[in-house]
Amino acid sequence: MIKILFILLFCVSCDNNDIKTYRVAKAPVSTKSVQPPTITDNELKWDLPKSWSASSGSSMRLASYNVPHSSGVGDLSIMILAGDGGGIEANINRWRGQINLGSQTLSEINNQSEDRKNSLANYQIFTVVNEDNLDKAFICAIIPLADSTIFVKLNISAKGITEIEDDFIYFCDSFRLGDG
Amino acid sequence: MILYISVIHLGWVMDKDRLKKILNTLSSPKIFICTIFWMMVLVVLGTLAQKDLGLYEAQQRYFSCWIAWLGFIPTPGGRTALFVMTFNLMFFMLKPAFWSFKKIGIIITHTGVLLLLLGGGITAWFSTEGNMVIKEGEISNVIIDLFAKELVIIDDGNSEYDQITTISDNILKPGSKIESDLVPFDIEVIDYHINCEPIRRLDVAGPEYKGLAQNFILKRIPNEKETEVNRTGITFKVTGAEDVANGIYSMFLAQQIPQKISSNGKEYTLALRRERTHLPFSLKLDDFKKVMHPGTDVAKSYSSDVVLIDKDLSRPVLIRMNEPLRYMNYTFYQSSFNEGVDVDTSIFAVVKNYGRLFPYISSLTISLGILVHMFLRFPIIFNRRRGK
Repeated sequence: MIKILFILLFCVSCDNNDIKTYRVAKAPVSTKSVQPPTITDNELKWDLPKSWSASSGSSMRLASYNVPHSSGVGDLSIMILAGDGGGIEANINRWRGQINLGSQTLSEINNQSEDRKNSLANYQIFTVVNEDNLDKAFICAIIPLADSTIFVKLNISAKGITEIEDDFIYFCDSFRLGDG
Repeated sequence: MILYISVIHLGWVMDKDRLKKILNTLSSPKIFICTIFWMMVLVVLGTLAQKDLGLYEAQQRYFSCWIAWLGFIPTPGGRTALFVMTFNLMFFMLKPAFWSFKKIGIIITHTGVLLLLLGGGITAWFSTEGNMVIKEGEISNVIIDLFAKELVIIDDGNSEYDQITTISDNILKPGSKIESDLVPFDIEVIDYHINCEPIRRLDVAGPEYKGLAQNFILKRIPNEKETEVNRTGITFKVTGAEDVANGIYSMFLAQQIPQKISSNGKEYTLALRRERTHLPFSLKLDDFKKVMHPGTDVAKSYSSDVVLIDKDLSRPVLIRMNEPLRYMNYTFYQSSFNEGVDVDTSIFAVVKNYGRLFPYISSLTISLGILVHMFLRFPIIFNRRRGK
């Protein structure tokens, strides 16, 4: 019996499957007849509010803008991520964490969102403010596309949000493809 | 290996009395009581830790481990306790005195408990779970693990297939070196973060930094309670590729731009992604339907019309909430969905569990054992009462 046990233990401990190689056929083409357009970075267009100016940002961002307001300059970033980019709940909660706020459930997050529509999709705008530190706040738009998601996020103070909110909505509503 | 052979050899040369003594010790009910008590302690500690660590992390630290660290003190983890309990029970059942017709109820009950423990072991070692995400009109045979990650090296040079080499996160530890015939170059892991944030470099990176690492460093940040939300990141050094490609790379989960590395005249795509399992059959999502509670955004029910495709055979199946599809040891539950502009995406929670039936069988066996024991004991109890 003991011998069998040790042989079994040996077999279990010898399981080494950490590096594998296999072949996968190239991804099949979708059979759905009508597909929404796939967006590439250079096809995407938007209208910029007059006071906003391009900033250096980072290579991960599709574009970055400085958003001036009465008490400073907000940092706006536009990113496109594949799929749902991690989803609304995960992203909003990660950003909430960055301004020292706790996580919320998806329904709590959705309850505080504003539904809007542009020529690409129905999308949501989320405004999050740290009430204990009004310098920490953000307003963002999450625009779901067929195979990717556009994230527009503006880091700004609570006061700044009240001043530029209309500009932000105008900006997000203007997202479109090509020359459309 | 030498150690195992030595122990086996020791078993051969051991005399019967000594073996009997060892078996008596191993089958002691005291061991069973102690492990049950220790499991109770672990359950309390794990439940308390869940508040701070989250469900998955607490499960890993206290139950799905051999050693549970209480601060700096190593203690038996859930697996060790259950392993000891299982073998203690097995040794107990090997005792000749245990096997008597009068104890048939107890034998059946103990067999049920043993089945429950064995089923737990099978589930712990061999079960897998993940998500299958399919858009309407598309076909998928891929399960994406919620927790495990893998570094993949994809050679997409062939027009018909991609040659994929995966390196499990089990060996992606800081300092570990991956030198394998399956991998076209050598990799040395410099850092591996369960959760991280890409931070733009303030300084200019040296020429040894390539790709994302040229402009960003991955900063470790505290793990999220919900493990699946973590953005895992890795920094590693590549050697043995083409001179221009040798260097230090960083990448993180769901990175939008994949990293390319050239080696031996071929171009490979590298990515850090959730571990994938390719099934021997596929599902095609024809239609996703959802019904909302009137006047709310809360889903009342949702369902997916899928076609199960296994080689040349295909059959339509409706997967609904609480009505999963079971096929080839896999169970597909309707889990979630994403609404698109024109096309919806259905998300199935997929579970493969060979030990799925063990809890049912063992519960029935234990119940049967208790009933048999009761019926055998009743006449004795009644006779005693009559005697009094």
